[in-house]
Amino acid sequence: MTQTLDVHQGVTQLGRTQATAASQPAEISKSGIFAITFGITFALMYTVLEQLNWPLFTYHPAVGKLDFWMQRPRSGEGPPMYWYGWLALSGIGSVVVGYIATLLPRAWLYRATVFCCVLAALWPALLAAGGFIADRVSFDADFLKSVWLAGSFALVGAAAISYFTSSQWVGRLWVSWLWIVPVGGLIVLGYSLKSYFLR
Amino acid sequence: MDAITDVLFDYISVRTFWRVLQFVHFTMAVALLGAVTLQTVAVLMPVQQAAGNFISRVRAAPAVSYVKPIVILYAPTFLLGAWIYIKYRTYVRIPMEQFGHWWTVGTFEFKEHIVTMGIALLPAYWYFWRQPLTEEYATTRKWLVVFLAISVWYSFLVGHVANDFRGVGA
Repeated sequence: MTQTLDVHQGVTQLGRTQATAASQPAEISKSGIFAITFGITFALMYTVLEQLNWPLFTYHPAVGKLDFWMQRPRSGEGPPMYWYGWLALSGIGSVVVGYIATLLPRAWLYRATVFCCVLAALWPALLAAGGFIADRVSFDADFLKSVWLAGSFALVGAAAISYFTSSQWVGRLWVSWLWIVPVGGLIVLGYSLKSYFLR
Repeated sequence: MDAITDVLFDYISVRTFWRVLQFVHFTMAVALLGAVTLQTVAVLMPVQQAAGNFISRVRAAPAVSYVKPIVILYAPTFLLGAWIYIKYRTYVRIPMEQFGHWWTVGTFEFKEHIVTMGIALLPAYWYFWRQPLTEEYATTRKWLVVFLAISVWYSFLVGHVANDFRGVGA
């Protein structure tokens, strides 16, 4: 009888362990944490830096000159190139964030990833929505076009979503950000190129 | 880098130098294209045993065997492309805009974004394809392969169109 109970408890515990394991991602080494965080961060940073045009440096290929940060085209110096500057800043940022990620507890890392990705999506979305509403209402609603107002709401929204989402869900979603962020980034970047295709 | 190119320019013309670079970039891209295509076929349409025609044998090849060549080829192809991009910006894009080839300019702009996303995912791609393969991440592995294949195919085709405008043999 005792043996039967023990076996039954063992089976029950095994079942619980399997159920818990199924709701959490498989163990990922520190190099894996770095690689995944690097991929997510690079895609996110590159999209944001490109949209804001914040390169680490500007290269002027016609004269072989390098300037720190963003420099507008200057007469007689040919077209400036910002792509290398976005790559460099995204690369450095991603290495730093990837390293920090290896030091964080997993639960924090998963929630921090949700927070950053939701913030990156919400901020421009709220800004665009604010601009859309401000242009259509009869009263003066220019305050809705404020970057900082949209940013504040996005911050609160991202914090709420990352706080209230279940730990199982954020854990399971974590690896998926690896394709969600690059694909989302490419949609944003592709849309910003529409002027080339509508001429 | 300037010192190296200065020495080289004593022996070959500037034009030949850039053409050689572009040809090497093209050759590496062809090899990369083959590797990502074969891996995509092996991942999306796997078969257990090699039998029958050529396609069946390609499908039966272990997808993991393409990982090292892809990583080894993607990074230098990207770097070489980034170097040649200097010439594209000054020598190709300006006349492209003057002639109003906006679609070509736009698609090439998107190429720089898609290859960047590809290089960003390369460490994760390498990690998930390390042995022993975890069954739980089979879907992640599959989509990483598909994403890299799309990025390489897109870049190859768009690069080819840009080359036809003003490049090797154009």
